[in-house]
Amino acid sequence: MKNTLSLTVNGITRDDVVPDNMLLVDYLREKVGLTGTKIGCDGGECGACTVLIDGRPRHACLTLAATCQNAKVETVDGLSRDGRLTAIQRGFNEKLGAQCGFCTPGMIMASEALLRRNPDPSEADIRDALAGNICRCTGYVKIIEAVQFAARELAA
Amino acid sequence: MEHLPEMHLQHPATVEEAVKLHAAAPASRYLAGGSDLLVNIRRGIERPDSLVYLNGIAELHTITDGLEQISIGGAVTLRELAESQLLRKPFSAVAQAAGKVAGPSHREYGTLGGNLCLDTRCVFYNQSEWWRAANNYCLKYRGDICHVAPGGKKCFAAFSGDVAPALLLFDAEVELAGPDGRRRIALAALYRNDGMDHLTMTRGELLVAVHVPKIPAPVRTGYAKSRVRGSIDFPLAGVAVRLGLQDEKIADLRIGLTGVSPLPFLVRGLDKFVGRKPDDACLEELREVVRGQAKAMKTTLTPPHYRRRVAGALAQKLAESIF
Amino acid sequence: MNKMIPSRSIGVPKPLIDGPEKMTGKAMFAADFQAVDALVGRILRSPVAHASIVAIDTSKAEALPGVRAVVTEADCSNNHGVLPIAMNEWALARHRVRYRGEPVAAVAAVDVATAQRALDLIEVTYEELPAYFTAAEARAEGAMVLHDDKPGNIEREVEFDLGDVDAGMAAADLVREMDFHCAEVCQAQMEPHAAFAEYDAARERLTIRPSTQVPFYVHKMLARVMGMPESHIRVIKPHIGGGFGCRTETLQSDLIAGLLARKARGTVKLVLSREETFITHRGRPETHIKMKVGMKKDGTITAVDFSAQQRGGAYSGYGIVTILYAGSLIYGIYDIVSARFKGYRVLTNTPPCGAFRGHGTVKTRFAFENLIDGMATELGLDPFAVRRANLLVAPTMTENDLLVNSYGLDQCLDWAEKASGWKQRKGKMGPNKGLGMACSHYISGASKPKHWTGEPHATIHLRVDWDASITLLTGAAEIGQGSSTVMAQCVAETLGVDMGRIRVVAADSALTPKDNGSYSSRVTFMVGNASIDAAQNLKALLIAAAARKLEIAPEDVECLGEVYRGGQQDQGLTFEEVVMEALTGEGTLAVKGTYDTIPESWGGRKYRGAAIGGTMAFSYAAQVVEVTVDPDTAEITVNKVWVAHDCGKALNPLAVEGQVQGSVWMGMGQAMSEETRFHEGLPLHANMLDYRVPTIIESPPIEVGIIEANDPHGPFGAKEAGEGSLTGFLPALTNAVADAVGVRATELPLTPDRLLELLEKKARDERAGVSVSGKLA
Repeated sequence: MKNTLSLTVNGITRDDVVPDNMLLVDYLREKVGLTGTKIGCDGGECGACTVLIDGRPRHACLTLAATCQNAKVETVDGLSRDGRLTAIQRGFNEKLGAQCGFCTPGMIMASEALLRRNPDPSEADIRDALAGNICRCTGYVKIIEAVQFAARELAA
Repeated sequence: MEHLPEMHLQHPATVEEAVKLHAAAPASRYLAGGSDLLVNIRRGIERPDSLVYLNGIAELHTITDGLEQISIGGAVTLRELAESQLLRKPFSAVAQAAGKVAGPSHREYGTLGGNLCLDTRCVFYNQSEWWRAANNYCLKYRGDICHVAPGGKKCFAAFSGDVAPALLLFDAEVELAGPDGRRRIALAALYRNDGMDHLTMTRGELLVAVHVPKIPAPVRTGYAKSRVRGSIDFPLAGVAVRLGLQDEKIADLRIGLTGVSPLPFLVRGLDKFVGRKPDDACLEELREVVRGQAKAMKTTLTPPHYRRRVAGALAQKLAESIF
Repeated sequence: MNKMIPSRSIGVPKPLIDGPEKMTGKAMFAADFQAVDALVGRILRSPVAHASIVAIDTSKAEALPGVRAVVTEADCSNNHGVLPIAMNEWALARHRVRYRGEPVAAVAAVDVATAQRALDLIEVTYEELPAYFTAAEARAEGAMVLHDDKPGNIEREVEFDLGDVDAGMAAADLVREMDFHCAEVCQAQMEPHAAFAEYDAARERLTIRPSTQVPFYVHKMLARVMGMPESHIRVIKPHIGGGFGCRTETLQSDLIAGLLARKARGTVKLVLSREETFITHRGRPETHIKMKVGMKKDGTITAVDFSAQQRGGAYSGYGIVTILYAGSLIYGIYDIVSARFKGYRVLTNTPPCGAFRGHGTVKTRFAFENLIDGMATELGLDPFAVRRANLLVAPTMTENDLLVNSYGLDQCLDWAEKASGWKQRKGKMGPNKGLGMACSHYISGASKPKHWTGEPHATIHLRVDWDASITLLTGAAEIGQGSSTVMAQCVAETLGVDMGRIRVVAADSALTPKDNGSYSSRVTFMVGNASIDAAQNLKALLIAAAARKLEIAPEDVECLGEVYRGGQQDQGLTFEEVVMEALTGEGTLAVKGTYDTIPESWGGRKYRGAAIGGTMAFSYAAQVVEVTVDPDTAEITVNKVWVAHDCGKALNPLAVEGQVQGSVWMGMGQAMSEETRFHEGLPLHANMLDYRVPTIIESPPIEVGIIEANDPHGPFGAKEAGEGSLTGFLPALTNAVADAVGVRATELPLTPDRLLELLEKKARDERAGVSVSGKLA
């Protein structure tokens, strides 16, 4: 069964014919062509596919695209503005919050969601917000520093 | 992992419409958050032809503070539950349990109904189709042997929802809607001790709401969860404790368990603690009672001995710490 | 205004040069490549652990509309393997399967659903054989051999006996022996294995983008397995989502993607599921170790007598190297005067093991550092003092002929002791809290490459054209560790130019010089040195050009990076002007730099395989771990880690810190929660829920002290930074737990259930009046 899906992806309104059994992550990667969102596991175990739906973090690998009717979907591909990295992206870049970069899109989106609702998070707040995102390179130390860097930048 | 099969997604606006759409297809499933159901579909342990999507139904999203009870819609998310101002003392255990489910992004869309109706779990069941086929399947699905207790005909897959044991502390009731209309049953009556078929809901029923009676007594409650990692994992054992003291003596004591059997349940035989001082000897005894009833089987990679022991230890710690 | 001072690039914290792509989702990993006509590849895997393949019938699958190719072993020209002396794996099983999940056939189809249906239509007839899931079962009398040329299912038996071990034990004041058991662990890098293969049917050429750490090996093995000329294959390494060693050999998925693309005469994308990625394995083997150490009252180690048995899995892979490392690297960190080793690498019906960060050394070091910690306690010595009693003095050669030219372990010990407040806090932590410490080391690349061809270890090309940009061409594989950044730094520093002038093009076999790949921490040392050599060669050309233009002698040219001048009064030439002069009559500049190891570093000949362990330089690390143990639940909380790592000159201190933190933390996962077990050969942890990679919640702060004991041969003095400090965490943890609750764990991972068993046993023993060490109280 296919239906027309109307939604905005990174601020752009789209109408796509989408099969009912298509996962949001496949819709984003294959239909829209935004491959920033990654698939790191077989369903909901690693957080690499985290995107924002109406501002809240969600696993694109456990979301049917057809349930996102009229939703506002944001991915890492659309985060930077006018080609410039945003605060959270600068934080991950400058503090080496990313090594291989595969968990980074999910980490950045989960962090972005945190900073939007809590611009001045404590270390515990950061840990709680990123507790569903696995990173295999950093040991998370520099990821925490990256989010703290971004919070400082946003406050300045 | 298999790709998703062809499915028809339905978008009802009311509970009654949802029930009707569910009845219209032979292998329907209700879909709310999807954090568990979609994994199971991807693994081939659920094979629905039709999904009835519940998140468009306004009634399922409300939390109501009634005179006698708090009513929580089935599609209320676990985050909303964890953050709800209505679920402060004495209902802390419910909010704490909701806040300990999986990881933060799962709680953003995982729902109360989904957590209460969570399928039972077993290391021989929650695997890919290739894996289960290579292992000749199992009692719970497509097979005729149990790998946990070979030779047995009972399925020990463990119920692993965190919220149920907390709600059991309060005599919560669930409101179900089905082809024959609505009914209300005790939450405890939603479950049976059978890993293959642990829900008493009849076909086509959906969980509309949970009603939690308000309690007058000054009791305190809490939830503790054992898991290998600090996040994401299902409980190896989950313990909800309700404790009321009067003149420094136990006046009210209930303990709910999850993760250690095919159903969540209240520990039996706690009456003997009423009237006693919660001193070290008393709490040691309490620990042993809990441990004795936490009859975990080899359904997880962590051995049952540990899960039994830790259930007792968590009960003791919680009882010590909530006052 | 010309910039009159050379830019500094070395020793300065630098974000990674490929960082912005990773921040914006623009970094392309293998699974991100798309083509409108790309086919979907899928693999049919064996459901049985050990069987003869009686027949494979693919006719129904081939007939299914939408299926473009079905491949089996019949499409493979040859077997493959990472060690030239031990190739025995087939991309698709040939006549026999040896582990559950081994690839048997594969299809390429127009979409996933069709590919899946096609797999279901392939009929394979198996005749089951006895299967062995432990090393002991496989070695048992009468066990069937997995490979005809491996009697007793022994991949390799290793033996050495250096110095006089018996005399050493006799001279010791305390001799202790213990058994250790470490679970199999997996790299679990975030990116599942994937390859994007394009076959140009008109020219019979293959271009492939595999998720690999070793594009050169993949290139060689594709040619071998596909029976194609190497010249007709192009391997382009995309962004890589981590590797940690599991991608240091050619994986079947890399080969199957190539086979499918050729047969389909088109483009195939093959992306493995997480489960398949776990089944591909190549992790660290389950290992049983016996360790016996003799020690003097002052902590001096007199002798080491140890053995290791590794469950290697169904194929040879890196096995021989792993078991050799497990023995040889007992040396190189302390002054070991006598040691005896017996090692067995065993073939079993489980997925093949491979090289995992800290290759071969981790479990031996765990056993050793754990055992001597207990001996220190028995002798009433401080654990730091025991290490200090056994330090090496560089330069030296170890008893097994490993070259140690630089040695900062003493400084590492000083830093870790001070930073952790060891002297003030040890023994005064209060109930259920403890401090533990341990040391570790690792090689900076193997001095003798596996494929010994006589070529230099590393080659770098620099290209400079009229635009005055510098293009650095390297075959080295950036996998997130920052290798491209290090090379750019080395070149920029040598020339004194701003790093922004340098563009790195990495790992495209059509453009870049050959490189052996990213493994055994070889890249910074080998490729860094080659980068410096190339930059010096370029600099010589630029100085010569500047001298011509300025009409002075080359030795009078002062190079200030962006400016070349004749003296203080001279306003000089810009870099662009110098480049234009250099191009005059010459055209585009293309210079090369190379690096070769020195023969003294090639390891010894005292026993068979003694060359394994030979390296140009060792890194050293010392760490202190602080834990709190919950006595009721036996849950361990790591409160903090202090780790000092001697990486020689820290070329990029930011990246060094990141590597060290990542290593320590990966050691933590292995020590506390990660393991792969099997149910009759079926993987029980083949997902990210049951394979418990630590989350951010239980991951501790890790404070890093960078120790710079520069190596005379290292690039600017640099050595390895990305592996050595992993190993120390494991024993430091068990030592800390022993300090906290008085039980010494010898089995890893130390999950709460295992610790609980130890605590319960201790309680039983105490009730029975027996002390922990086994002596009467």
